[in-house]
Amino acid sequence: MRFHVNFKSGKPVYLQVVDQVRAAAASGALRAGEALPSIRPLAEELRVNRNTVAKAYGELESQGVIEAVPGKGCFVRDGDSPLRKDARLRLLTDGIDEAVVSAHHLQIDKSEFLRLASHRFDGFAGRRARADGREKT
Amino acid sequence: MMTLAIDIGGLVYRYGRTEAVDGLSLRVEPGRCYGFFGRNGAGKTTTIKCLLRLLRPQSGRVRVFGLDPERDEVAVKSKLTYVPDHVAFYPWMTVRGTLDYLASFRAHWNDEIERALVAQFRLPLDRRTSHLSKGQKTQLALVAAICPEPDLLVLDEPTSGLDPIVRREFIETVIGAYQEGAPGRRTVFVSTHLIAEFEGLIDQFTIIDQGRDVLTLEADAARERFQRIYARFAGDAPAVELPGAHGVRRRGRELEVVVHEGTASVVDRVKALSPEALSVEALSLEEIFTSALSAREPAA
Repeated sequence: MRFHVNFKSGKPVYLQVVDQVRAAAASGALRAGEALPSIRPLAEELRVNRNTVAKAYGELESQGVIEAVPGKGCFVRDGDSPLRKDARLRLLTDGIDEAVVSAHHLQIDKSEFLRLASHRFDGFAGRRARADGREKT
Repeated sequence: MMTLAIDIGGLVYRYGRTEAVDGLSLRVEPGRCYGFFGRNGAGKTTTIKCLLRLLRPQSGRVRVFGLDPERDEVAVKSKLTYVPDHVAFYPWMTVRGTLDYLASFRAHWNDEIERALVAQFRLPLDRRTSHLSKGQKTQLALVAAICPEPDLLVLDEPTSGLDPIVRREFIETVIGAYQEGAPGRRTVFVSTHLIAEFEGLIDQFTIIDQGRDVLTLEADAARERFQRIYARFAGDAPAVELPGAHGVRRRGRELEVVVHEGTASVVDRVKALSPEALSVEALSLEEIFTSALSAREPAA
């Protein structure tokens, strides 16, 4: 996958890397078991400090998105979260609340919101399924 | 408690009656890449020379990994390497001879890194240092500073003699090669006024002006705080009082505001004026530097 950072976004650089890996894993651009670039080459490519990449990978590991294998590198996990279902639902609620608040201010009603959410969900699932299909053939 | 790589408190250094450093304080945690930003003459080099005991401060505390450079000069110097803004070598020595000579003072020297960097910079090993270009001399000094793999690398305006392509290489490789060996331990302290080149590299920085620390922030936190709000209106941009705004600019229908913190509340005020377009972006570290210093100038 290709990473990019934008210093103008005002979002901490390490979080930009975290979000890109999460999105790539959700869309199939990164598959379970696939290796992430090692810290130094990625730091050089993005022209950021290695501390930034190390912090991003640390955060991804604590979120259970990737797994660090000593001496080998970091790999995308197969998606089995160690957290219980109710804890996972609680974590998701924050992001949904944010989207609901935005929807209110943009005058998007509930049915339109749900239709869009469903469409986006299917989009990611479709891309992931196509990526899996390519892997198997 | 973790021992700080650099701990400076209330540092004062005067040249005659001129106070070059006037009560400066800063703390650098190990493993960081720390930027020390200031205009020419702000006191950057004097501070670094006090750190290295090349100058004796009139007052204040200087500690390097908990050691006092005055009492433990040799121990301090064995833990760090330093690339000054003007590098000089024995002119009759070759590049090879210079590296061997400098290595002879060090307990440890990484030959592998030396070979890799010499090859990357295409440094001519058999050429006398008197026949090197200014950029090549800087490169040689950088190689010599990295190879001992010290706990602290002090760089004073390291890229000023380099051409733009080499500068990019410097940033992408030298610091990476240095920190790779022991991540989390190796500390870089870099003074520069060419801030844009270090944008992604700096974890934390201090801006020094007239010998005093003006602003110390994490780079990420700085970009979250220092932001530019841009709005365009249907008619002329309204003249409005915006508390906390720096550098308000109106051009016809456009309004541009720089904030040093509290972006959200200023954005809310601008939104209340019903602009037809509104966007917010973070300032670059260089713009933060300029904006923080211009805020210090007395209003004309």
